[in-house]
Amino acid sequence: MAEVHVIGQILGATGFSESSLFCKWGIHTGAAWKLLSGVREGQTQVDTPQVGDMAYWSHPIDLHFATKGLQGWPRLHLQVWSQDSFGRCQLAGYGFCHVPSSPGTHQLDCPTWRPLGSWREQLARAFVGGGPQLLHGDAIYSGADRYRLHTAAGGTVHLELGLLLRHFDRYGVEC
Amino acid sequence: MVSEKSHLGDQQEPGHEDPNADARPLSMPTRRGPRSLPPIPSASRTGFAEFSMRERMREKLQAARSKAESALLQEIPTPRPRRLRSPSEKELETEFGTEPGGKIQTTQQEDDSQSYSRVKFRDSVRKIKSKTPDEEELLDDKDAVDFLLGLDRGAEDIVAVRPADYESVHIRLQKEKELLFIPSRRTVPTYKKLPENVQPRFLEDEGLYIGARLEVPRTNQNIMENRLLMQEPGRRWFGDDGRILALPNPIKPFPSRPLVLSQEQDIKAELETLYKKAVKYVHRSQHMIGSGDPPGNFQLDIDISGLIFTHHPCFSREHVLAAKLAQLYDQYLARRQRNKAKFLTDKLQALRNAVQMSLNPAKTPKSLDTTRRAINEYKSEIRQTRKLRDIEQEKDRTLLKTIIKVWKEMKSLREFQRFTNTPLKLVLRKEKVDQKADEEAYEAEVQAEISELLEEHREEYEQRMDEYRSAHQQWKAWKKAQRTKKKKKKQGVEEHPDDEMEEPYPGEDPVKPVPPEPTNQAVIEQEVRERAAQSRRRPGEPMLVPELSLAGSVTPNDQCPRVEVLRREDVKRRSVYLKVLFNDKEVSRTNSRPLGADFRVHFGQIFNLQIVNWPESLTLQVYETVGHSGTTLLAEVFLPIPETTVVTGRAPLEEVEFSSNQHVTLDHEGVGSGVPFSFEADGSNQLTLMTSGKVSNSVSWAIGENGIPLIPPLSQQNIGFRSALKRADAISSIGTSGLTDMKKLAKWAAESKLDPNDPNNAPLMQLILVATSGESYVPDFFRLEQLQQEFNFVSDEELNRSKRFRLLRLRSQEVPEFRNYKQIPVYDREIMEKVFQDYEKRLRDRNVIETKDHIDTHRAIVAKYLQQVRESVINRFLIAKHHFLLADLIVEEEVPNISILGLRLFKLAEQKRPLRPRRKGRKKVTAQNLSDGDIKLLVNIIRAYDIPVRKPITSKFQQPPRSSRTFSEKQAASPTTHSPTHSADYPLSQVLVRPFVEVSFQRTICHTTTADGPNPSWNEELELPFRAPNGNYSTTSLQSVKDDVFINIFDEVLYDVLEDDRERASGIHTRIERHWLGCVKIPFSTIYFQAKIDGTFKIDTPPVLLGYSKEQSVVAERGFDPVRSLSEGSYITLFITMEPQLVPGESVREKFDSQEDEKLLQATEKFQAECALKFPNRQCLTTVIDISGKTVFITRYLKPLNPPQELLNAYPNNPQATAELVARYVSLIPFLPDTVSFAGICDLWSTSDQFLDLLAGDEEEHAVLLCNYFLSLGKKAWLMMGNAIPEGPTAYVLTREQSHYLIWNPCSGHFYGQFDTFCPLKSVGCLIGPDNIWFNIQRHDSPLRINFDITKPKLWKSFFSRSLPYPGLSSVQPEELIYQRTDKAAAAELQDRIEKILKEKIMDWRPRHLTRWNRYCTSTLRHFLPLLERSQGEDVEDDHRAELLKQLGDYRFSGFPLHMPYSELKPLIEAVYSTGVHNIDVPNVEFALAVYIHPYPKNVLSVWIYVASLIRNR
Repeated sequence: MAEVHVIGQILGATGFSESSLFCKWGIHTGAAWKLLSGVREGQTQVDTPQVGDMAYWSHPIDLHFATKGLQGWPRLHLQVWSQDSFGRCQLAGYGFCHVPSSPGTHQLDCPTWRPLGSWREQLARAFVGGGPQLLHGDAIYSGADRYRLHTAAGGTVHLELGLLLRHFDRYGVEC
Repeated sequence: MVSEKSHLGDQQEPGHEDPNADARPLSMPTRRGPRSLPPIPSASRTGFAEFSMRERMREKLQAARSKAESALLQEIPTPRPRRLRSPSEKELETEFGTEPGGKIQTTQQEDDSQSYSRVKFRDSVRKIKSKTPDEEELLDDKDAVDFLLGLDRGAEDIVAVRPADYESVHIRLQKEKELLFIPSRRTVPTYKKLPENVQPRFLEDEGLYIGARLEVPRTNQNIMENRLLMQEPGRRWFGDDGRILALPNPIKPFPSRPLVLSQEQDIKAELETLYKKAVKYVHRSQHMIGSGDPPGNFQLDIDISGLIFTHHPCFSREHVLAAKLAQLYDQYLARRQRNKAKFLTDKLQALRNAVQMSLNPAKTPKSLDTTRRAINEYKSEIRQTRKLRDIEQEKDRTLLKTIIKVWKEMKSLREFQRFTNTPLKLVLRKEKVDQKADEEAYEAEVQAEISELLEEHREEYEQRMDEYRSAHQQWKAWKKAQRTKKKKKKQGVEEHPDDEMEEPYPGEDPVKPVPPEPTNQAVIEQEVRERAAQSRRRPGEPMLVPELSLAGSVTPNDQCPRVEVLRREDVKRRSVYLKVLFNDKEVSRTNSRPLGADFRVHFGQIFNLQIVNWPESLTLQVYETVGHSGTTLLAEVFLPIPETTVVTGRAPLEEVEFSSNQHVTLDHEGVGSGVPFSFEADGSNQLTLMTSGKVSNSVSWAIGENGIPLIPPLSQQNIGFRSALKRADAISSIGTSGLTDMKKLAKWAAESKLDPNDPNNAPLMQLILVATSGESYVPDFFRLEQLQQEFNFVSDEELNRSKRFRLLRLRSQEVPEFRNYKQIPVYDREIMEKVFQDYEKRLRDRNVIETKDHIDTHRAIVAKYLQQVRESVINRFLIAKHHFLLADLIVEEEVPNISILGLRLFKLAEQKRPLRPRRKGRKKVTAQNLSDGDIKLLVNIIRAYDIPVRKPITSKFQQPPRSSRTFSEKQAASPTTHSPTHSADYPLSQVLVRPFVEVSFQRTICHTTTADGPNPSWNEELELPFRAPNGNYSTTSLQSVKDDVFINIFDEVLYDVLEDDRERASGIHTRIERHWLGCVKIPFSTIYFQAKIDGTFKIDTPPVLLGYSKEQSVVAERGFDPVRSLSEGSYITLFITMEPQLVPGESVREKFDSQEDEKLLQATEKFQAECALKFPNRQCLTTVIDISGKTVFITRYLKPLNPPQELLNAYPNNPQATAELVARYVSLIPFLPDTVSFAGICDLWSTSDQFLDLLAGDEEEHAVLLCNYFLSLGKKAWLMMGNAIPEGPTAYVLTREQSHYLIWNPCSGHFYGQFDTFCPLKSVGCLIGPDNIWFNIQRHDSPLRINFDITKPKLWKSFFSRSLPYPGLSSVQPEELIYQRTDKAAAAELQDRIEKILKEKIMDWRPRHLTRWNRYCTSTLRHFLPLLERSQGEDVEDDHRAELLKQLGDYRFSGFPLHMPYSELKPLIEAVYSTGVHNIDVPNVEFALAVYIHPYPKNVLSVWIYVASLIRNR
């Protein structure tokens, strides 16, 4: 019966070597969670920074959840993509972070990574674009054994999330 | 020596220091070093030169400092203290800066300098005393500079050359020995490491878990131990085992980030990465926001290799046996491969050995207790294993026996029937065995068993004996007690007679225990031997190995009896094929293959299924064809959907069994299926077999060109709940099918030698323990989220019960009832239960047809159907709404180019107030930040023409009483009372009419002032507020506003009600009555889409208006307007608009799929683009969307269709009248605008039969039907697309009569000549015929000014031309329309019901007054209505009035008939309400209401309602 509002925005990203970035995002929750309103996933526009190296998206996130338990607290998974001058899109990084569990506004920095691939793939990526991607996107937030992956660090995605919690105290959860 | 000196100085220091310390000024900031710094050991070997130099420096420094200090002491009042102090500060800073030698040195120096300063202190004080401060200052500065520059005036006296210091190795070693401790490398004896008299204790041996220690070389350990022993005599570094305490080895045996090799095979599927090329996204027509996975084509390969029947109706008896034999043989082979008996025997042997070993106490150092326990365990295991082995052996033996038995049966059958059908042949191979060894082994085995059994029995016996003994003791005791009691009783019977009743142990008389039988060895031996003989091969008996081969020969046909030949023939005629069903849809089928004599079918076909979604089911259907007759479905085989790791090439062939329950009896040798048959001659021992078989197949995911498996991602969106499950399913992601198999897991655990004591493995061990112990409870479910339930705050039901959540969810799902719900209360208790009522009712009633609102069932069904169509279209629309173009998101102002700039420049020179002002477009408002009251509807009523005028009551024979004459009449009459004869004929003196207009919209009513005469001019602006439903001003919401603007025209009549003539002089007492004359109804949606409505409209007047006529106007204006006389009626000029102007919603640009030819579609697009380029405002229609959402070429809708025969028979000789009747028929079908029902989505065109079935439609459906009727009547008719008022873009029908063209309004049934100024059609866009489309390319588009000759290509651009000839498109219309005669009785019943309901309603509307019904009048009216229907409301007025007058002479009567097509009840009620008849509140008023329904074919009903009010004249 407890409710959680997640209101905020994906501010932007820094530290990516590519310009012209956009971000696909989604929220994953456990089975105890019900989405009352809002959209679970989305995609930002492509931002090409003119000044500085931060790509600003200011993409709104507005979700309202009801939950009957704490398990499966909402988690955000992000995919940053870059678009090159031919309009082709390639992966720049996967990121993941939990939605904060205390009420208030939170500034989150979500570091990202991307699979490195073999040297051939790296070479291909450097010259003709493209690159290895995860076959199954859910490994971003639930990969139990990701240790086999070789990854390279991407940039950081900055988020600003406001949390409103309701009725958690009724069930003995202090926040 | 130098150092010693300094040392000395240090030692002397305290003596000097103490007396001075107090005298020192407190404000000395330079004294930084701590005073109690210990002396620095003299080990530092500072060079003499260095030292002396430093000394000098110090001296100087000291001097300066002391001077400064003294100066300070003396000159505190002087105004420049800072200058004096500054040099010393500087010195110190330099000292730190220039000497990076380290802190120790610095402190030392400082210390030295302190000591020196103290030594010199007195001197300097003395000195200072003798000098003036000014001199001091100068000197001081100089010294400081010298020091800073490092200059030394006397360098040579501090430099001395000395040899390098050297200390020999020996000395050094000697010294080091004193200082250093080198631990020895020898092993430390254990006793040293442990407390005294304590034995080392090895925890591991005691069974406690100790992790593996880190590998450290022995010597290192020794060194450490020695050191620890030396350093800390307490032994707290050592554990109980005498070793250094250590944590388990934290280093993992393998690196956690192994080198990933691309060839590595064991990368888990879900972690595989995939090299993807950079792709350019093609914008899809579906959601823009949404799944990140690009939709791919995925492929599933289904390899169907063959089919084997294990039973088939055509099996002969031999086949049945053969199948059985084959099955048994398979079983045998499988068993032999496993060879469980051997395995168990070995195990038994091993266990026995183990027992032997443990019984031998010499070898085991362990305690007796554990040994015994182990032995006991072993023994129980031996017992179990033996049991198992016996069972297995017996099974083996019986299997072999059965095989042999079946084979024998088969042989006898073959002999009996004298032919063979199957090539099966069983050979039993004997394997010789060494008899002696065998016997020995056998005997040994038996002996071992006997001894074990004996032992067991002995144990058991002992146990029993123990039990017996104790029981016996007890019994004895009891007996004794009993005896004593009895004695007692005998003594005390007299005293306690009641005691006799009591029993010491009621009901528990212990039986004397029987001692157990001792074990009889002979009996046991007997048992064992019997069992062995039964289940085991006898010693020396050769081992039998059956071998099944297909080497036998089948008897050829000519040697077989007839029945068998028949059977074989039948088999030959049969063939089998398989259908592959994917998600219950047939996707492919195999070739039909004949059934072989061995009932095996080989297909060997691979089907590649290109799929988009995750498959839900895969089914194979086995079909059998017999000869040329039909096929029968034998069975369905469900194939499992392969796991994502199963890809083509790796998938093994699997056999899936199937069976069917069909019953087949055959008239030949075949045994049939599902019918009992027997092998015996007497028919006993019956057997019933069902058709069954196996399909060998493999299903796998295909691999794409570049080695990517074509598997749809699990996260694919559109498979709903299943996908969600799948995504959350941990198992599918881990891929641990092994986890569920406990045996596998246990085996793995045993192989990997897991340490059972390791706490890390505890859960696993427990699991295995539970799983392998056998009796444990293994749940048949797997819980995904463990402990979820336990930690839940609330249960699911409670969560679902929450009204708030439900409301929120429904709102976000855009369920119609809640779509625009604004605020949802925070607490559940604030939400009314009734909020959901409508919604729940709708859900409940989805399939229930409600007949309450709809009086006849057909319409109820239609309404339901329409509702469903509407819902589906709206759902589509909601999806399509998310499809944006760039232009929808971004408003980009055009960059001004030179021409615009030029125009702007011209504008500068423009007049500020031009003489002919041009209308400026109003600014449009996007409907998002609007609220109630922001939008107003402006209705400008300008003027009206030809309003019916009152007819004076001129009947000579009946002078109305004065009191009831109209007021104005009286006024008008009063000056001419002297000439009453003139009043009837003289037009000027006539009472005309005092009309006013009332506009009602959304329950707001406004009216104009009253004007005079039949052609009044009001020129008034009425302002009506507009409220959107639910306060939602979004485009979709506004589009679906269904409200109408009613413009009613009334005549205001004043009645003088003064009772007494004498009061006439002093007062006026009149009553105002208003009489309804007609109305204009304009839907709001029209205003919304048109933005403004400007024009002259025909007033919808009732066919009979009692007391009114239009003759006078004709008299007055005859010859004035010949055009108007063509189409009679009243007209009103209106201008309606909205303030502010709203942006109308755009229709959806959804591309619907089509079955049209691609070329044709391209041509239509081209045609439309060309037309739009030339005349963007003209409507050009080439394709439309049919009711199932497909694009259809428009001419397919036009085709001659027969009108109902009944209509044709009405006027057989008058084609014009027939046409009018047909048009009337069409207009009687209710009108239902698509734009309202499908909120701005699109126009759906239904075909004429659908239209007639639905009995509701838009203009275009009416037009299409009318056009089709006209075509069938042999007229030249076209569909005319254009703009009309008030409908906006609409469809009319154009017909060509002999010399002129007629324009038909299909919804009203009226027709207009081409040059009729009052024709509502204002512009013509295109004409559509059954075989072509013509676009109007003339300069004008008004029908008055254009030429309708479509043969002229300069005026009309045709779609099909010589370059693109008409391909002969087939029509979507039916061949013929079939009309059912409407049930007259039902119509009559409906009529009664409507009348009843309307009467009730009128009574409801008059809550404060009594409503009387005049039956006589009602029946009169009822008779009159059919006449009206027959004459279509024309030319009956006069007769009717006369008749009414005759019958109801003494009543003043006002009323009129209303005519409507029947759709449902609500519009009828609304129409009656809007006339306002019920508003009369004269006390003695009576009412009359009559309803007449005229049924037309196909349930089209024409409803007449005559409503009137009567006031009795006195």
